[in-house]
Amino acid sequence: MQQKIVEFTNLLRKSGVRVSVAESIDAFMALDELSLSDREIFKDALRTTMVKRSEDIATYDQLFDLYWSAFYDGLKNSFEQAAGDMEGEFDLEQMMKAIQEGLQNMEGDPGELDLSELAKALLSQDMDKLEQLIREAAEAAGTERIENMLQLGFFTRRTMEQMDAEGAGDQLRDLAQQLRESGMSDAQADALLELIDKFLEALRKSVRNYTERELQQQNFDYMEKFRRESLLEKSFYNLTEDEIKKMREVVVRLAQRIKNVLSIRKRRLKRGKLDLHTMLRRNMAHGGVPFDLIFKQRRKERPKLVILCDVSSSVANVSRFMMQFMYSLQECFTKIRAFVFVSELGEVTQVFKDKDINDAIEKALDGGDVINVYTRSNFGFAFHHFWQNFLSSVDNKTTVLILGDARNNYNDPRAWCLRDLHNKAKDVVWLNPESPSAWGFGDSVMDKYLPYTDVAEECRNLKQLSRVVDRLVL
Amino acid sequence: MFESPEAVIEQLDQQGYICDKNIATVVFLAMKLEKPILVEGPAGVGKTELAKVVSAASGRPMIRLQCYEGLDEAKALYEWEYSKQLLYTQILKEKFAEAMAGTTTVAGAADRVGQEDSVFFSERFIVPRPLLRAIQADDPSLLLIDEVDKSDPEFEAFLLEVLSDFQVTVPEIGTLDARHKPIVFLTSNDAREMSDALKRRCLHLYIDFPNEELEVRILDKKVDGIEQRLAEELVGVMQRLRKLDLKKTPSISETLDWARALLALNAQDLDEALVRDTLNVILKYEGDIKKAQSELGRLITRKAEEGQAEGGAPAKAEEKPAAGTPAKKGVLH
Repeated sequence: MQQKIVEFTNLLRKSGVRVSVAESIDAFMALDELSLSDREIFKDALRTTMVKRSEDIATYDQLFDLYWSAFYDGLKNSFEQAAGDMEGEFDLEQMMKAIQEGLQNMEGDPGELDLSELAKALLSQDMDKLEQLIREAAEAAGTERIENMLQLGFFTRRTMEQMDAEGAGDQLRDLAQQLRESGMSDAQADALLELIDKFLEALRKSVRNYTERELQQQNFDYMEKFRRESLLEKSFYNLTEDEIKKMREVVVRLAQRIKNVLSIRKRRLKRGKLDLHTMLRRNMAHGGVPFDLIFKQRRKERPKLVILCDVSSSVANVSRFMMQFMYSLQECFTKIRAFVFVSELGEVTQVFKDKDINDAIEKALDGGDVINVYTRSNFGFAFHHFWQNFLSSVDNKTTVLILGDARNNYNDPRAWCLRDLHNKAKDVVWLNPESPSAWGFGDSVMDKYLPYTDVAEECRNLKQLSRVVDRLVL
Repeated sequence: MFESPEAVIEQLDQQGYICDKNIATVVFLAMKLEKPILVEGPAGVGKTELAKVVSAASGRPMIRLQCYEGLDEAKALYEWEYSKQLLYTQILKEKFAEAMAGTTTVAGAADRVGQEDSVFFSERFIVPRPLLRAIQADDPSLLLIDEVDKSDPEFEAFLLEVLSDFQVTVPEIGTLDARHKPIVFLTSNDAREMSDALKRRCLHLYIDFPNEELEVRILDKKVDGIEQRLAEELVGVMQRLRKLDLKKTPSISETLDWARALLALNAQDLDEALVRDTLNVILKYEGDIKKAQSELGRLITRKAEEGQAEGGAPAKAEEKPAAGTPAKKGVLH
């Protein structure tokens, strides 16, 4: 059992759930206090001691079922199937009743009936007990040392021998014989014999199944399969409708978290001059001796933000989540102006004022009635347009945020527009969904723009995005 | 104390708190392993309530520490009672003069005063705050650290000492050990992720919104005189409401408020007009209310369909006249 829990802990770790050694020790201590017969309690006990983040609970549940329950369920299935496969009209409950009655009718007390644990478990279909017996026998047979397919039969046989499955079968057949002698009808006794054979077969199958699982677990790929493809690290390029929805919630939570951290960090930054008035008042209790120093709080200027979003299909998702992020963090900025472009550039600030944030984003991605999205990207043209019409709105408190892959379709990059922008603005931040190694290759003009940005980052998944946002709002 | 998770369920039930096996197992383990519990979950699902009922069920008095931004040691742990020290000094002035009699040098006098140091820095002049109170309590107690996510990271760091060893270090006096290890509940709305160090020392419990069956049982227990049928309808609407994309998802406490409001209005069934008029009991944002109102038809029709499927036409026929009775209209408008 211990071995199994340690293994399960490793599985959790590999799937990205952080479990420390102290926590797995806690799990063992918890299990000491509980009876393990109840699967649900077992599950809860492991969870509460090892999984401390609510985001990880879903992963845990999934892994738990795979690791602990899948075998159990298979076991249960194969036994149910065995009973279902019986020929003719057969009612398991009736059979059980008949056996009970038969046992009572038998000469001598039932205690004399010498059945092994396995036989008893088989007869009463006690799955928990059976599972436990199989695990113990497999351990005794050294099944965890299995290395390849060819050993499957060997270890299955050895496990069966460890359990003395044959002996249990003989005992059960003897029992059927005794029942027949003490007055069970022939038909029923025959049915019982058949059932016993079916159960033994089911047991053999389950043991083989168990051995196979052991083999799979040796395989690293098998473990890898459990690795959660976390939404945080999923690339924006291929998202399904459903994932976009889920992602939206994640963004909301991330934004909330950033806001909270921000309030703490800001408070520290804001410390200003000594506040004499308040200090005297507060320190009256100390007889006027200034024990506690009180400082005035300095107001920090919140930045203005101008967002330029490429909404061509290749970067639409990055733009989507970036805009959601920025508008969720609205109160961190004095003003946000949002522009979208493919080739033409249009302002969508008003769309965000009129509409609910999610609707507004969808509308903005669709061009917001101001631009035509069905053209080919032309960054140079868009920047030039911005330079002509909106450069005056940029001042030294403004952060300009540009989202795009800088794939310019071999048009003129007009980097001088960005240079002028860079000279006026506080910061120019460029987020590119492509990795830096691809910048400047093919029709990418990222290398031309790079000198005029303060920060240029790859931004392909939520994790990177939230890191950028975190830096931005500080 | 509790013997098994089942006993926890039963005893909490006696206190009027209905919980599932998961909660019971965690509470049971916390008692056995003497570990703090970190309770997380959306607002209003009964996190604080859990601590209260465990306190009542185990007969341990509850000591509560409400966290907020800027909470510091002086508010949470202990504070030197400066004015009292000052007052004592004034009153005992003569005694000091006596103690210092015979010394001729300033250094000698300072030494004498130094010998009396411990008088002023003793437990007499400490104002114990919740954490210290829980540790020094004569009887075993239960410490509730509420909304720990609202506190600063620094505060969290110093909670660690208290939570792992149940001891507090006061520089002037020394280390104060717990007479009895208190049971500790920390609640968090997950506004901020707690540090791994803190989480490692705690058992973790996540309370989510209850499922339909559990919520009906809670309603039954908490609201006197509610009819089974109304409870089920109400919970049905609540469960569907939670699936909507709302700014603030209503939780159990809102369900209870709503049930009480409906009882006060003498309502027998839910109908569209009634739900529309009482939505502001469960939803706290204008936008949410609007959204729910536009979805209202869907919530109600689905309920009617269910009614048809279960009880056939009569159930629906019953509902309609009830909605139109003048008595109810009078109450509502």
